[in-house]
Amino acid sequence: MEVLHVITPLFVSLIVGGTFVGIVFGAIPGMTATMAVAVCLPLTYSLGLENGLALLLGLYVGGISGGLVPAILLGIPGTPSSITTCFDGYPMCQRGDGEKALRIGIISSLVGGLISLAVLYFFAPTLADFAIQFSYVEKFLIILFALTVMAALSSDMLIGIFSGFLGLLVSLIGTYGIESGGNGEIRLIPPGLEYWLESGFALLPVLIGLFGLAAILEEAEIGVPESQSARNVRLGAGTGFSLSVFRGQIGNLIRSSGIGTFVGILPGVGGSAASILSYTATKALSSHPETFGKGEPAGVIASESGNNGLTGGALVPLMSLGIPGDSTTALLIGAFTLQGIQVGPLFIGQNPVTWDAIIVAMLIANLAMFAMMYFAIRYIARVVSVPKPILFPIILMMCVIGAYTINYGIMFDVWSLLIFGLFGWLAQKLRLEIAPFIIGFILGPSAEIYFVKSLESFGDLTIFFTKSWIAVVLWILIAASVAGSVLLARKTRRAREGR
Amino acid sequence: MGDLTHVTVNFETSHLIFPTLIAIVLVILGLAILITNRRQIAGAGPYWRGVLDRMDKVRFLGTIALTVIYFMLMVPVGDTWPNTGLGFLICSIPYVFLSGVLFLRHRAPRDLLPVAISALVAPTLVWWLFTDLFALTLP
Amino acid sequence: MNLTRRTILAALSATALLAPLVAAAQELPRNVRLVIGSNSTGGDTYQNAAIVADALAEKLGINIKVDAVGPTEAFKAVGRDSRGTTLMIHHDQSYLGYLYGVRGYEDIFASYKIGPTVSVNPGNAYLVPKDSPYKSMADILAAAEKGERVRVAIQPGGVSEIGFSAMKYAAHAAAPGSEANLVPVNTGSQSDKDQALFDNLADVINGSIQSNEQYTQLPADDQKAMRFVWITARPETLRKAPEAGMGAMTRDDMLKFASPETSVPLGEGKDFTFDKVFFFIYNKDMDPAIVAQIDEALAEVYADGKIEKRLTDAFFIPDFRPSDEARAHLQEKNDTYARIISEIGEPSN
Repeated sequence: MEVLHVITPLFVSLIVGGTFVGIVFGAIPGMTATMAVAVCLPLTYSLGLENGLALLLGLYVGGISGGLVPAILLGIPGTPSSITTCFDGYPMCQRGDGEKALRIGIISSLVGGLISLAVLYFFAPTLADFAIQFSYVEKFLIILFALTVMAALSSDMLIGIFSGFLGLLVSLIGTYGIESGGNGEIRLIPPGLEYWLESGFALLPVLIGLFGLAAILEEAEIGVPESQSARNVRLGAGTGFSLSVFRGQIGNLIRSSGIGTFVGILPGVGGSAASILSYTATKALSSHPETFGKGEPAGVIASESGNNGLTGGALVPLMSLGIPGDSTTALLIGAFTLQGIQVGPLFIGQNPVTWDAIIVAMLIANLAMFAMMYFAIRYIARVVSVPKPILFPIILMMCVIGAYTINYGIMFDVWSLLIFGLFGWLAQKLRLEIAPFIIGFILGPSAEIYFVKSLESFGDLTIFFTKSWIAVVLWILIAASVAGSVLLARKTRRAREGR
Repeated sequence: MGDLTHVTVNFETSHLIFPTLIAIVLVILGLAILITNRRQIAGAGPYWRGVLDRMDKVRFLGTIALTVIYFMLMVPVGDTWPNTGLGFLICSIPYVFLSGVLFLRHRAPRDLLPVAISALVAPTLVWWLFTDLFALTLP
Repeated sequence: MNLTRRTILAALSATALLAPLVAAAQELPRNVRLVIGSNSTGGDTYQNAAIVADALAEKLGINIKVDAVGPTEAFKAVGRDSRGTTLMIHHDQSYLGYLYGVRGYEDIFASYKIGPTVSVNPGNAYLVPKDSPYKSMADILAAAEKGERVRVAIQPGGVSEIGFSAMKYAAHAAAPGSEANLVPVNTGSQSDKDQALFDNLADVINGSIQSNEQYTQLPADDQKAMRFVWITARPETLRKAPEAGMGAMTRDDMLKFASPETSVPLGEGKDFTFDKVFFFIYNKDMDPAIVAQIDEALAEVYADGKIEKRLTDAFFIPDFRPSDEARAHLQEKNDTYARIISEIGEPSN
């Protein structure tokens, strides 16, 4: 075991330190795992490859996990991949189960991380070969499947789907990016605004505008009443948490971790799709789908095991194809090239020690994440008892930092925050639905590129059905998800009329 | 069959395909909503009047106004000391303080103190953390 | 407690107040922002910029932050600021984008000041599947001449397309009309291009030595196996690469795929070559004193030799030219490529 020489006290402390900083970045609305890795990347040159990777992988795991904290406690997703954690975690917190939700989320994160790590270790090259069977067509169908959750998340199906399509349309504003395969032309920009809108709206400012600023505006509208939730938080013994919450959720944990891992493996499908897909699947398969979105622990489990499943998954194509699985692993490539190490299909075979070190680092990072977050919950959860006149301005300020720094210093992103804050408030008054809107917004750009490229490459609409057996399986899943939402909508309508 | 489903994508105009499709769906959905919810839409006037009546206008509009001023000042102030993040620090302290005071329900000196402390400590800490430690660019 | 905070703040504002005064002395200010024409902090532009920024900052005793804001925002930022507080580093894309008529690109020679070149990424290459009937560029050009349709996956509008344009130009010179048989497959990132090859949507792809070399080592029965057909870098650039090369490919192996051994003719007995050069771009009105200051500082940095090791470790070739020389060099490249692009009927400005 040559890898034992790599595991020094420095190696371990870099992982633990990285995980801690990652959690902090993840927990700040608007700061992401990608940002954490980006700011620490320059440090890795002097650390050497294994130690540098230890730090970066710690940041990665910590950053993805930290996002659940504000998602549950404040209803603001700390990172795009924790968006679906909000849907059930925040309602749980509002009814006083914040700490319980945190515990569920953290345990699910650990399980997701470990399952995906095992997959990475045992199946990396095989799965990478499977992943390249996914062409534009299959990738479009995966995105389409994830989009079906729009219907499932709406309280009024028609308005929900309308909101989702509105989100899709807004995500297309700006340039059809050359770097993702487009032609570099702009569309949907009102005349005169080209200077501001040519790059479109960035995801993060939109996200924290809709969930952060809009919520604070709604509070301001009703005069910022003194906090209810502070009294509601049950801390310590009375949290009502026991591992029995997970009874009957083993299938959910495994499925969601698996989905998250697989989405990570597919290059280009993107990190936020992982939790959205596992949430969609879990809701579609649930015997009581109507409880989702209203504080259903299974939703938190699906979302958090899904997004941590991503971590191991996204390393699969990186280590076995030299292709990043998401935006954070794209930065890891930089760490390798700076050291003059090539990543590609021969990497694992040629660098067995580095490969083992990566696996060990991921394992330690997951355990460290769990230890730090699980035992800090009691203190973290107190955030909700901070008086609003102190908490809100600080949240607003953090949102500004997040928006400004997400693309390394663009003021328009800060204005987007305000625009979508106001839009979020207005949408709530107009009864538009924010959850489907943001799902449409997140998935819009990939839906477009894969749809248009499928037609451009194959020139025939039937290709979506005839491309491969994978496409057929995906259509079955899509049909099941749509049918499930329709049935559910009918059931709720009947229940309402019956009352 | 083959001819019906056949499509040729012109790369030069391919940026319009997907937006057009989505826009068509939106219009159809929009019409459907207009038809099914026509009663509610007709009642929009009184609804908005109610919203405005119930609104805490000082806090709501005050938050928006403060935020707009904050955003507008940050860059010009920061430009005096380029690339130091001081524009952020100098604007954040009054912003955090003033919006805190705006949200307070009782504004006795005793209530103002914690707001003032957080307005000084939080921006300074965050500014130090992100510009110095993590070398991020702030205005 | 209060007192310490006050002293810290006072000290901070005192140092900060000095900054504009230093700038008035027509030197680089203490805090410089270096924006780059790429959104990625893992890509080659970022790495070159970071290595150069580190060395320059150390030499001048100032702070330089590299911000990966992407081309559009980088041009905007550097166009707004003539004080030298914002500088930019980008590569040939900055003028090729304009030559190809991509939205948002201006003529950098007219709208900005060209600063020194710093380094080259010699990796730009073209590849085919390992079992492809085309063994070389000559085969590909011959196939086009015979009327076979050859699909080439590129990212349109810049660095990734220029080699493809040269192929079309060569095909046109050999048999007018045959260039129409070279068809672009417009894709985005490297993984999209690789995938286009795996999906059999393309016969040839644009790639790089760094990201594709390992694919060329795979056995031929692997779906992912590839073969280099062309490396666009100039032979004199490649000769400066480490002898061991990259992966299993030595420098001598690389030279076999580059001019003159692999030839894509440009006419007049010359071959087409393309080095991806990284260079500074300044605001048009930036003080010439600052330009000179950076030129001098970089000359010393490169004379020292430490930067050479960092660059070659990451498989980049140091390539310093002071501003004036850099401008002339890039202008010449620009004119050559402009001729190719207009000749094959691509949009030109």
